[in-house]
Amino acid sequence: MCGICGRTLDPDGAAVAAMNRALRHRGPDDEGVYVDRASGLALGARRLSVIDVAGGHQPLSNEQADVWAVLNGEVYNHPGLREHLRERGHRLATGTDTEVLVHLYEEYGDDLVHALEGMFAFALWDARRRRLLLGRDRFGEKPLFYVERPGGLSFASELSALCQGGDVDGDLSAAAVDAFFVFGYVPGPDAILRGVRQLPPGHVLMWEPGAERPALRAYWSPPSCEPRPADPRAELVAETRRLLEGSVRSRMIADVPLGVFLSGGVDSTLIAALAARHSATPIKTFTVGYDTGEVNETRTARATAQALGAEHHELVLTAGDVAARVPALLAEIDQPRADQALPALHAVAKLARSEVTVTIGGEGADELFGGYPRYRWLARAARLERHLPARLGASGARALNANPLAGRARRLAYLLDGRPLLERHLDWVTERRSDLRADLYGPRLAAEAGAQRALDDLTARVDGRLDTSVPGALMRLDQVHWLPDDVLAKADRAGMLASLEIRTPYLHRDLAEFAASVGPDAHLEAGGKALLRAVLADVFPAASGRRPKTAFRVPAAQWLRGPLAPTLARQLAEGALYAEGWIDAGAARGLAAEHAAGRRDWSQVLWPLLALGLWLDRRRGLDGS
Amino acid sequence: MDPEPRVLVLTPDFPPAPGGIQLLMHRIVRHADRLHTRVVTVDGPGARGFDAAGGLDVQRVGRGAAGRLAVATLNGRALGEAARFRPAAVLSGHIVTAPAAALIAAALRIPVVQYLYASEVGPRPRLAAFAMRRADAAVAISAYTHELAIAHGAPPARVHRILPGVDLPAPDTIPRADRPTVLTISRLSERYKGHDVILRALPLIRARVPDVEWIVVGDGPLRPGLERNAVSQGLQDNVRFVGSVSDDQRDRWLRRAHVFTMPSRLPAVGSAGEGFGIVYLEAAAHELPVVAGNVGGTLDAVVHEQTGVLVDPADHVALADAITDLLLDPARARALGVAGARRVRELAWPAVARRVEDLVLALIAGTRPSVADGA
Repeated sequence: MCGICGRTLDPDGAAVAAMNRALRHRGPDDEGVYVDRASGLALGARRLSVIDVAGGHQPLSNEQADVWAVLNGEVYNHPGLREHLRERGHRLATGTDTEVLVHLYEEYGDDLVHALEGMFAFALWDARRRRLLLGRDRFGEKPLFYVERPGGLSFASELSALCQGGDVDGDLSAAAVDAFFVFGYVPGPDAILRGVRQLPPGHVLMWEPGAERPALRAYWSPPSCEPRPADPRAELVAETRRLLEGSVRSRMIADVPLGVFLSGGVDSTLIAALAARHSATPIKTFTVGYDTGEVNETRTARATAQALGAEHHELVLTAGDVAARVPALLAEIDQPRADQALPALHAVAKLARSEVTVTIGGEGADELFGGYPRYRWLARAARLERHLPARLGASGARALNANPLAGRARRLAYLLDGRPLLERHLDWVTERRSDLRADLYGPRLAAEAGAQRALDDLTARVDGRLDTSVPGALMRLDQVHWLPDDVLAKADRAGMLASLEIRTPYLHRDLAEFAASVGPDAHLEAGGKALLRAVLADVFPAASGRRPKTAFRVPAAQWLRGPLAPTLARQLAEGALYAEGWIDAGAARGLAAEHAAGRRDWSQVLWPLLALGLWLDRRRGLDGS
Repeated sequence: MDPEPRVLVLTPDFPPAPGGIQLLMHRIVRHADRLHTRVVTVDGPGARGFDAAGGLDVQRVGRGAAGRLAVATLNGRALGEAARFRPAAVLSGHIVTAPAAALIAAALRIPVVQYLYASEVGPRPRLAAFAMRRADAAVAISAYTHELAIAHGAPPARVHRILPGVDLPAPDTIPRADRPTVLTISRLSERYKGHDVILRALPLIRARVPDVEWIVVGDGPLRPGLERNAVSQGLQDNVRFVGSVSDDQRDRWLRRAHVFTMPSRLPAVGSAGEGFGIVYLEAAAHELPVVAGNVGGTLDAVVHEQTGVLVDPADHVALADAITDLLLDPARARALGVAGARRVRELAWPAVARRVEDLVLALIAGTRPSVADGA
């Protein structure tokens, strides 16, 4: 795990050295810079040593020193690849996966990405042909930002590091701020700053001197999950288990201690149970809970850990911790993020880092195996619509919507509502923040308040698949939108800010292709994730029969009334977000007052504003850091 | 009294239904000249015409029935046929006919020969164990199946490995294709055949053989997903799904292609994968080198580095390299193909049927059968 960066017009490596410094938290163990003086290209890397601790210095080259590489992440199948390369006459000097990239490039050229299984962002410089190749993993686990200049390019693992390279001169992009407010994250390939792009998951980028623009090419995208005749269930369960076991094993290869993030849910319990079976020594598990709110998963997690014979560690994130840590975290992160689970994930990552360098987690299970209730509810809605007169449904939905809704009533409203399904999906995942834009947006965002960009974005990515299968299309949509740009970005940054590598067994290419190939129905039975539940019942019967997991609700509403109230008040009074005219302070204060008084729960709106405001103040140098 | 002993052949799988087991049963019966056989099998589309043209003694049962009902009908009607036919032995072509075979054997005091493949064992382990215990001899189609038979309770001395065979093609002059062509022939219904892994390997093959074309012969429920994945990976110009084709067309593809591949893997629990893979022999008969998985019955069907290359069937990079190397080295590909063709001459169906006859005749004679491994 590392941070990487590079620049094509940096003959003394100064810009890359500056970017590298800003990536220190991603790789505290080592740093390196390579400069090709003749062509002016520089590559940089910061390294967190996980594989071949002694021999893994980056950047790294082939024997002729004409192909150089930097890698952030892990290529899990590198031991097998190494063997192939040796058989084909390559001589490898280190035990690292970075070196494998260099030799695979010699063998397959740009198509080397098809040989890789893992989470990665890399840069390869072919000094002979004067060609730069950037690549990003299939699901978008590892980040890669870049900015083009006339005749050149610079790139870095994090936006804040890219800004140190001297090529980012754009301010906030109004469109990206709008998207952030609606989604709570900036969907790729855009970034919050104008002119900055993210290399999309499953893509490579080629750059050569003299070319007008770099060339982008997709090499993989998640397969569509479409209805098909039912397979024998036992076969599907067995195949899921075989693939998941293989994936867990591959993610347990490390030359450093390794742990498991454990919540009370199916995904992490299954991973922990498989890891425990595969480990000769007791596994280390890590859990976080809150001292406020109704749901505390720590008890379930503790019982699971005990049953697995794990060495268990848990942490309670108190109101005091929230006041002390959350504002700094939201400000420090490289792009603004409004995912309320970020503080807890960061806290448990720090806890784990005191014991291990690598953890494995359950990211991706919900999106690949049909875990979100939305898939079932919106599929029902589509079925219902074929039978119910539209006007009747719409008036039912209006009646339900007249009151603030929660839980099943709200789901029922989505069921009856006659609007296009994708609009309902958007409302569901974004808590209808779009409706507030006209009131909240200040002059700098005024042109965005009526924009349909969020819906257009989703429509383009769904690309007609809703006609074939509503749940299948929504699962795939989440895999290309929410998963890379929220879930995985959150895991990467929360881990990296604690210098901890998080690995994700569910995001194995073979497993994802298999999960799509069985069709949505096989997943959505039994309340979703039917195949994972069945595998869990096989490998860890003690966990089945427990009540299903309740959604893990972050007590954000309480935090905004309690430990974060002073920060929010200060933001509303002096934050750049309001002073610069992005958000109307009066309108935001109105919501904050209603929220503070307990009349309404506006946490789903105030949290993104707080996250964006703190991040912007840090960027403007206003928060004293 | 017949000059040849009567043998009742019970099988749910018989042509014109497609598939390797169907073919095997048919060829054994057709070439077993020293036995007087009567086949009891299920009815199906095109069966009447096939039987009329085939000149074999075939009784069809269970018209319109399918699945378990057809199998139950087959077992029931087999008893009546046995009473009429008075066989000297029963050849049970599948474990699902083992119950009828056992009853007939007990009633008529005659021996039972039970065929065992592999994929049928996983879903019905108890029935497989019953069949293995009750048979006087078990025919395993590969070393892998041999182990499965013993694991399911067959006494080792009663298990005989007789490899399946192949129809030797008539000499022809069809040239290999101009375009580097990789061929797979299989129904697209079972994941373990490895089409998914070939699709993952294809971009790596294309990296070194840019105009490679993968011809996928066969049809089934996995096809739409494979086609979608091919397009989503930008492989539409390198893959052609030709669907189910006639035997002639299939032979033509075997002549046109440069490498045959089907990297069958051992599936997860639930079924036992490739028991042998007759299609590998068919490829060899057309002098086509084979790239396949180094597990299961394939180990008997393909001789590593002699008639083909065996690789870890889950490793798409190994598969890609093996196929690419053969496409780029026509002399080696040809050497493997020619060696394969030489080997399968000993596995022509008449020779295979002779081994089965020897076994059945020895049992009828009450001598301890000794059957040479057909390899």
